[in-house]
Amino acid sequence: MIARDLGPTDDLLMLQALLDGELDASGAIDMERRIAADPRLAAEYARLRALRGAIQGGAMREVAPESLRARIAAATGVAAAANSNVVKFPDTAARPAVPSVRRWRAAAGAMAAAVVALLGVNVYLVTDWGSDDIERAAVAAHSRGLISGQPVDVVSTDRHTVKPWLAGKVPLATTVVDLATDGYALSGGRVDVIGDVPVPTLVYRHREHFISLTELAGGSSRVSSPTRETVSGHAVVTWSDNVRRYVAVSDMSPPELDDFVATFRRAAASEREDSPPKAK
Amino acid sequence: MTTEAARSRFAEIVLPYLDDAYTLARWMTGSTADAEDVVQDACMRALRALETTAVERPRAWVLTIVRNTALTWMAKNRPANVTSTEGVDGPLELPELTDPAPSAEQNIIARAEQGAVRAAIAALPQAFREAIVMREINGLSYREIADAGGIPIGTVMSRLARARMMLMNALGRPA
Repeated sequence: MIARDLGPTDDLLMLQALLDGELDASGAIDMERRIAADPRLAAEYARLRALRGAIQGGAMREVAPESLRARIAAATGVAAAANSNVVKFPDTAARPAVPSVRRWRAAAGAMAAAVVALLGVNVYLVTDWGSDDIERAAVAAHSRGLISGQPVDVVSTDRHTVKPWLAGKVPLATTVVDLATDGYALSGGRVDVIGDVPVPTLVYRHREHFISLTELAGGSSRVSSPTRETVSGHAVVTWSDNVRRYVAVSDMSPPELDDFVATFRRAAASEREDSPPKAK
Repeated sequence: MTTEAARSRFAEIVLPYLDDAYTLARWMTGSTADAEDVVQDACMRALRALETTAVERPRAWVLTIVRNTALTWMAKNRPANVTSTEGVDGPLELPELTDPAPSAEQNIIARAEQGAVRAAIAALPQAFREAIVMREINGLSYREIADAGGIPIGTVMSRLARARMMLMNALGRPA
């Protein structure tokens, strides 16, 4: 799959493979970089995404009619009701491109994250999950961290430690900023699994409170303002910057979390502006 | 003669994917009545196979049976609608990437009416329609689509690429 010197046809196949989540981590990063550098590739990728949106927004999935279920029950001697004990995620019609098997694996949690990250295979963009699912998964990961007393996999207040650690495990360059002077001390980072994708999560500490900040590829828009919700008693703020989607979860009061988000965005924006390529 | 074990595996492995099965059959046959017949046939085949088969990836397994059943069923009952896949996989001649398309085209595609999208998919040749439905609507991976059709992964990729080009051309023009 790793091909160099791609011709135009190969480019299209590779763009598709990225869209379909079929590239491994290094291939995906490679392709994302090329898209960022080449407006022709970016335009083609945008068209492919638009097509996917049109197909998936178009309710193309059918529901097997009751008459068919009855016929099958009669012909096989297996009662159709037998599938009622199968736990299914709701709303499969809205994002059919993720088989439920994959969603199941998402529930396997941190272990799966470690395995997927170590093997470095099948790293998908979390584009097919609804934002509600992402928020719920982020809250679950945050809660699990608090319950286990281990909210971080790498303990460090130094962003120059956390960032490379994450870089070795997820295919995204994570935005890590130091907010200690603003009252938010970096505690470390961990890898969460959302929609079968290992994603980087930073953990900041504010007084007694932890804040989990998850960064995901493929935000629906380049930039969107933060919106706040309460999910299972936790304040959750989501926004997009620089075509990345962010989800912040905390048990702080919602206005405090808003303040954290504003602080983080300011720091991240100024870092983006003054980060010339470093010749180290 | 069906054993209890096979029935219980059927309930576990096949029934959760009936909607997927029906969707694929519906798109392959183009008719709700034919789709019901195909899914019922496929279920009987699956039940027989489950006497002896262990299944690792149920969705892909079920859809493979549905696909093969649909092709057999159509050859027998709707021979006029069956088109040969011979020659569809000639050298891939996709257009070269052009200058950045005006974003208008992308917006037109994104806003395409549901009916137009359905019609465009329905108008695809069988092999391409099957690939795009299994990928975009059933959510199978390239490997699973390749296994289902007994074709190489490269063929899956080029069929998907062609299908998408055809769909983008059909939907990307201003009405």
